[in-house]
Amino acid sequence: MAGKNCVAIAGDTRFGVRNQTVALDSNRIFKINNRTLFGMTGLNTDILTLRESFKFQMNLYNLEEEREISPKTFAHNVAQTLYSKRFGPYFITPIIAGLEGEDYTPFLCATDLIGAMEFPKSFVVAGTGEESLMGVCETFYKENMEPDELFEVISQCLLAAVDRDALSGWGSVVHVLTKDGITTKRLRTRKD
Amino acid sequence: METYLGEKQQASQWSPYINNGGSCLAVAGDDFAVIASDTRMSLGYSIKTRYSTKYLKITEKCSIVSSGMQADIFTLHKVLKSRAQIYEQKHGKPMSTDAVAKLVSRLLYYRRFFPYYTFNIVAGIDDEGVGCVFSYDAIGTLERVKYSASGSGSSLIEPVLDNQVALKNRNDIKKEDFKLTKEYAIDLVKDAITSAGERDIYTGDFVEISVIDINGTHEEKFELRFD
Repeated sequence: MAGKNCVAIAGDTRFGVRNQTVALDSNRIFKINNRTLFGMTGLNTDILTLRESFKFQMNLYNLEEEREISPKTFAHNVAQTLYSKRFGPYFITPIIAGLEGEDYTPFLCATDLIGAMEFPKSFVVAGTGEESLMGVCETFYKENMEPDELFEVISQCLLAAVDRDALSGWGSVVHVLTKDGITTKRLRTRKD
Repeated sequence: METYLGEKQQASQWSPYINNGGSCLAVAGDDFAVIASDTRMSLGYSIKTRYSTKYLKITEKCSIVSSGMQADIFTLHKVLKSRAQIYEQKHGKPMSTDAVAKLVSRLLYYRRFFPYYTFNIVAGIDDEGVGCVFSYDAIGTLERVKYSASGSGSSLIEPVLDNQVALKNRNDIKKEDFKLTKEYAIDLVKDAITSAGERDIYTGDFVEISVIDINGTHEEKFELRFD
């Protein structure tokens, strides 16, 4: 979700296989650099593989370009990586959130599993609970929220939506990215 | 269907059911109930009509909204309306909300082995004047609740109602301090169904919203997005 010169990403931490919950602490949201956060939902093995793959690509980018990647460029990189597997895709739905440029303009991007990008101004949702998330975000979102309010709103959206989805929950984490840095908070959710 | 090689083929079989989309919701307060539904009727990715009512006022104290297949909604409402009329003429008084709720459940279960493809919500004022909402599944499982949503937008609306009516996961307000007023409920219902209209393709066009309290039923209609 985007606010005034800030963005936030929130996700749950359940790792399950159909009805079985396997782990309660799987992290799906990764920091690319101080300006970019990257979250994925879907097949866990693809999430882990792509995490390593993008870490490698970003390290190479930093060495070659001698600067940090911007969120927009990173989003395009993600899309290209996913499309390169067009006929044997990675089964993930990525979300990129960051602050673009000198003025720290919020940047949001969501793609599908083969890299079709979308750049909304307000919020993006992904995962098994995406319909519930869409409903709450659409109702609770408002423009130009300050970081504190953004944190409250995105937390309430996540908690309300995961409680309606059987495959989500078991803990959650919220990252708020502002020009001063990233604040991470873990929220207690229902353990069911 | 198996071929001579033994693999199963996917046969697309004719189904008597279709889903015409739409969303419905209801919220109950201490002495009132708010019930709303959109009016769009869709088939696949097309809109068949922008105004096809899913709402029926059964008595001054009780109404029903249904989502699902429009043919079954129409028939169920027709049967329900006539049964309510028969009751009123036989007993000299209108049906109470509890009786209507039970009747709907029985009508649905009567078709247990070829169900009505309808997802109903009954809302109104019970005999003590307290607001009530009853939600059903397709074969008549009855549960009295404080709020409910059904239809294609239900997964978008339910978590909003969880957070704003039942105050789930709220740290800023205590249940004892919260009073659900009529204005709050009406605004919430309007917001929730508007949000569903934004993001659900089957919800839109118009909304019929009605507020039921001790003085009767007050009906209203407003516009949603036409896209």
